[in-house]
Amino acid sequence: MSDVHHEGDSVTLDDGEVEMATEVVSGKSAGGLPVFTPQHGALHWLGRVLVFALPLAYLLMRVFGVTGIVGGGWSNSGLGLLADAFIIAIAVMGVNLITGYTGQLSIGHSAFFAIGAYTGLVLTQGRVSTPFFGDENVWDPGWTIPVAAALCFLVGCVVGLPALRLKGIYLALTTLVFVEAVRSILKYEKFEDVTGGATGIKGDKYTPPEYVFDFFGIKLPTGLDGRADLNQWMIYLSLALLLFIMLMVSGIMRSRIGRAMVATRDNELAAEVMGVNLSVIKTVAFGLSGAITGIGGALFGLKLGLVDADVPLFGLFGAITLLVAMVVGGAAQNWGPMVGAVFYVFVNEIARSIGEAPADYEAVFTITLIVLVVVVMVVVARYVMQHRNDIRANVSNGAWKAVLVVVGSMSALVAAGVMLLGISDGGKLDGLGGVIFGVLLILFARFVPFGAVGTFRIFRSRFVQIIPKPPSESRAAKAPEGVQVQGR
Amino acid sequence: MSLFIQRMFDGLAEGSIYALLALALVVIFRSTGQLNFAQGEIGTLCAFFASTFTLSGLPVWVAILLAMAIGFLIAAFVERVVVRPIEDRNPGAVIVALIGVFLAVNQLSAMFWGVDARSLPSLFPTNADSFFRIGDAAIRWERVGIIGVLAVVVVLLFLLFNRTKIGLAMRAVANNQESSNLVGIRVGNILILGWGLAGAIGALAAVMLAPSAGLTGTLMLGPFLYASVAAVLGGLDSPVGAVVGGLLIGLLKAFLIGYVDFLSDMLFPVMLVVLLSVLLFRPAGLFGTEKVERV
Repeated sequence: MSDVHHEGDSVTLDDGEVEMATEVVSGKSAGGLPVFTPQHGALHWLGRVLVFALPLAYLLMRVFGVTGIVGGGWSNSGLGLLADAFIIAIAVMGVNLITGYTGQLSIGHSAFFAIGAYTGLVLTQGRVSTPFFGDENVWDPGWTIPVAAALCFLVGCVVGLPALRLKGIYLALTTLVFVEAVRSILKYEKFEDVTGGATGIKGDKYTPPEYVFDFFGIKLPTGLDGRADLNQWMIYLSLALLLFIMLMVSGIMRSRIGRAMVATRDNELAAEVMGVNLSVIKTVAFGLSGAITGIGGALFGLKLGLVDADVPLFGLFGAITLLVAMVVGGAAQNWGPMVGAVFYVFVNEIARSIGEAPADYEAVFTITLIVLVVVVMVVVARYVMQHRNDIRANVSNGAWKAVLVVVGSMSALVAAGVMLLGISDGGKLDGLGGVIFGVLLILFARFVPFGAVGTFRIFRSRFVQIIPKPPSESRAAKAPEGVQVQGR
Repeated sequence: MSLFIQRMFDGLAEGSIYALLALALVVIFRSTGQLNFAQGEIGTLCAFFASTFTLSGLPVWVAILLAMAIGFLIAAFVERVVVRPIEDRNPGAVIVALIGVFLAVNQLSAMFWGVDARSLPSLFPTNADSFFRIGDAAIRWERVGIIGVLAVVVVLLFLLFNRTKIGLAMRAVANNQESSNLVGIRVGNILILGWGLAGAIGALAAVMLAPSAGLTGTLMLGPFLYASVAAVLGGLDSPVGAVVGGLLIGLLKAFLIGYVDFLSDMLFPVMLVVLLSVLLFRPAGLFGTEKVERV
């Protein structure tokens, strides 16, 4: 199922979009290369888990000091990071649904993340009265997850409906304000009974259940040692939920609603003409994506055991984090969020440890300066080489422009050097991770529009041959008389 | 009554900052149809530069002018290096890239200047006795000064847009890029100029705000949100709307804090309601032009 298809100049790349139009044949291609036969179904999924998820998980465990796979030797912080990565991946799935597949940029999904986390803790702590559910208002952690999803769906529909009637930046802007609004509401002192106000909720950590299921006496033990193995349990739970949501999203994308979402992204006018109700589709997509992110949030809250409105992932930077993970992994790629989230957690951890360690600032700045010098030299050299004829002939003041570029680059370099060496009076490298992710966002937007997974798929498609289905005979026969059916 | 007047001036001064920032957003939106999400953060970075300049002994007004020049350069650089190459190939990705600029610039200032608050002296007298009275109300000169700065910027922008050839070219590019290109306007240079102008105005807003609000990396996060709500309220393509919207939002904020006790901690939800109702009932904003789309 590889599906690069060209529309004029732009290329859209989607999971599960083109299977209907193409047929993949197995055997040998004309060039003699072996051709893979993608199959859909359980085996296909198992294959993907084996190919992507397990190696990734194994790599991370090794990197973060996890030595054994079963039993002892687990590094607890490494496990926690991996659990975080899967939880963030779930949240990114939500962003991917609205931004990647439906094409509506949201910078506010951390609000759903926060709502989900609060829902989980409010219910498990019994802070609101729920007359018909829960054991005296205290809920079982597992059951708070669907409630968080439902709540986020409702909130998403309410906020999305007005904003989504308009295009592009209006939704981005509304979601941006939405994040801060939700944070203010969560902090609001009048709701202190429920949300804990500015101090937030300090609850107990989620205790992993003793049995995976306990069904009329048939019990499957988890083999976990209560709260001590929380991270391990969160990995299982969030990975299972993540895979389930991926399956669900790929199902949605094959359904009528999913096709309508993709159509809305690719060409709103055409979609509307084809009978897609734009505002309904966008609102439903926004609600659904909010629900998915809310599930991630609920897991996050249960794992952490305490929340307050100032948790970084709940604010504006959390929203950008989700966006970074989506863009790096690949927009509109089902596996993108997992890859992006793991990448994010991994790089963030490295950047944090560099920022915390008493680094040799002079060395860091010297290296940065050297890199800058090289970049500027390359830029100047490229410019001069490209315009060397103009410069020689002084066409359209080419020589002056070249001087301008050289002088400009040099002064920028001097300014950067002054900044690097002069200003940092013993400051920490606090913002290193943020700078890296910001620059990555810019670079990916320009050079890697399909993200890691999308680029991998393009690369792979060189080895997989897709043979388009010939136009069927019956369709040609049905064409009304007098209309020439164009043959290939 | 005196309290009312005092709060009104507080609101107008705060609103002037939002109006400046909204003006910067509108200048860019008119020329490229983009909302510059990094606007506030570029301003913050410039305010940090200004604070470093004043520490090294430069007079405040020189530091502010230098900061505005840096803002001009950064914004022009962003347009040429980040926005334009993407815009040609993938218009939808521009916002993503601008959010990347937002994050990178914000964290750059944290990296170089740390997270502790810096001080930036004000251009106007801030002593305890530097105020004048209207009736019983004590009005600080600083507030009047900020409102005055807004007035000067508005007048200068008006003169630039309506009395100069460059301004004419900028309006032409805002109206129709292709036709402007055909009549010999260098659209690329005009776009760079527009972004640079907006960057300078944003830097001015930041250095006006920093003395009273305290200069930290999060200086412009809130004001940027207020300013973008103001820009939408006034109409994203209308400079007049930006000024009126900014002042309205500033007044709304001051009066909510002053008179509506239970909402004083809930300003962002109120802003969300304002934004959503503008989008529902008058998507073009108060002064914006209704968009007629030709199919």
